[in-house]
Amino acid sequence: MTLFISILINGCVLGSVYALVAMGLNTQYGVARILNIAHGEFIILAAFITLDLVTKNHTAPFVGFAVAIPVVFVISFALHRTLYKRVKDISANDGAFEGNAILAAFGIYFIVQNLMQTHWGSATAAYQFMPYSVKIGPADISAGNLVVLLIAVLICIAYNLFLSQTRLGKAIRAAAQDPAAAAMLGVRINTIMALCFAIGGVLAACAGVLISMKEPFTSISGLGYTTIAIIIVVLGGLGSVKGAILGGFILGYVGFAVSVYDSGFMLSVFYLIVLVLLIVRPKGLMGR
Amino acid sequence: MAMLEVSNINVSYGNVQALWDVSIHVEEGKIVALLGANGAGKTTLLNTMTGMLKPTSGEVTFKGERIDNLPSDKIIEKGIAYLPEGGRLFPEMTIKENLEMGAYPSTLWKNRKPDLERIYGMFPILDERRSQLSRTMSGGERQMLAMGRALMSNPTMCFFDELSYGLSPKMAQEVFKIVKQLHSEGITVLLVEQNVYQTLEIADYAYVIENGRIVKEGEGHAMLEDDYIKQAYLGV
Repeated sequence: MTLFISILINGCVLGSVYALVAMGLNTQYGVARILNIAHGEFIILAAFITLDLVTKNHTAPFVGFAVAIPVVFVISFALHRTLYKRVKDISANDGAFEGNAILAAFGIYFIVQNLMQTHWGSATAAYQFMPYSVKIGPADISAGNLVVLLIAVLICIAYNLFLSQTRLGKAIRAAAQDPAAAAMLGVRINTIMALCFAIGGVLAACAGVLISMKEPFTSISGLGYTTIAIIIVVLGGLGSVKGAILGGFILGYVGFAVSVYDSGFMLSVFYLIVLVLLIVRPKGLMGR
Repeated sequence: MAMLEVSNINVSYGNVQALWDVSIHVEEGKIVALLGANGAGKTTLLNTMTGMLKPTSGEVTFKGERIDNLPSDKIIEKGIAYLPEGGRLFPEMTIKENLEMGAYPSTLWKNRKPDLERIYGMFPILDERRSQLSRTMSGGERQMLAMGRALMSNPTMCFFDELSYGLSPKMAQEVFKIVKQLHSEGITVLLVEQNVYQTLEIADYAYVIENGRIVKEGEGHAMLEDDYIKQAYLGV
């Protein structure tokens, strides 16, 4: 029973963070058509920014949101307007752009990771956040983790409300479904693409702040999160935000349950899930 | 002065020229048809008039103002609505959201609520299904929704690209009836069609485009009697 409640809640915590990471990657791919290999680097950048704020400036880790979000937004927006615009201009067609964009993203991945390694070193980084536990039934659950869960769920809800209720959100969904038709209705498609790339970065930054609150990380942890995000996006369905949330929680639960036994098996089990899914339902759970 | 004036435009895709010295004018309150086979340049011309493509030379004016250098949202705000071939609805958005996208340009977005009610009044079938996803509708219903979306911007001129394509003859007739109704309400219409006979029956004036050039023009009914049109487009 204790183990069951522990998996129920901690799996949910992990899943909510995974959902954020995957929603970000999905927003970037769904509209801007960039499979952003460097996604995880911006997660870790946000985590380091938060670490510095907490350890050097003695602020609460929540201040990390106020600093990391604008930083990553500006970097991502600028990258899209310069690097990816150039890649688009020299690509013969949309298919060629997708391939070239992955290569460009690899370049960004190496640059950002090396800069972080130079600046913050390779050692494992962590700080203490609400280091006490709450009793839920017979299980001891970390209070910090519950706060992380609450914030992650709030961001997921806010992002979905943004997509379904606002003018910009509707334009983003329209552009994801049919960019040419959206353009005909007056949506400035290049601006929307740059914004989507930047919004994907913002979701990565949010995930990074939360990850710094709940677990240790290093300057090379980013690729692990990118890999998990790609797995979730394939699992949930390319371009589907709801699929990213569903897939995030599924991997969160499975991941935590497996890690109780041996965390070394986590990625292997994830790949196994994707393998089975690709055979049974190649378009993903919510894909069309 | 015609409401819409296209003067000597040339349009290219990279090194491939698609339109050669094309001129058309559309008088206010008329139905004008643009006829031609697949690949003749009809859609290219529409895309140029709606700001999606920029001509390499020539100009497009609407109510006396140049519009060929404006972005699409500004052209829509001036009163031109475009219904692209196949409707191009957003399949994973509801009927209401699809309609709202018709009022996307910022000055229109603020007034979208009364416009929604107006469209629901015109097409009761859309009113009943506001929150249904557009991909679950039948072909005819989709075309109604596409027309409703185009009319959300309160246009004074509509471009309809292949309105009847893929519809049953009964549904096609229904759609042409709506076009006539819009026309009687004072909306100027540019019809781009492969359905030559039905189009010429309701058109005041028509242009024929072949290989990117206007090869023939004339009054709608006169064109129905024209030997070249009969031979090449009506198969008689």
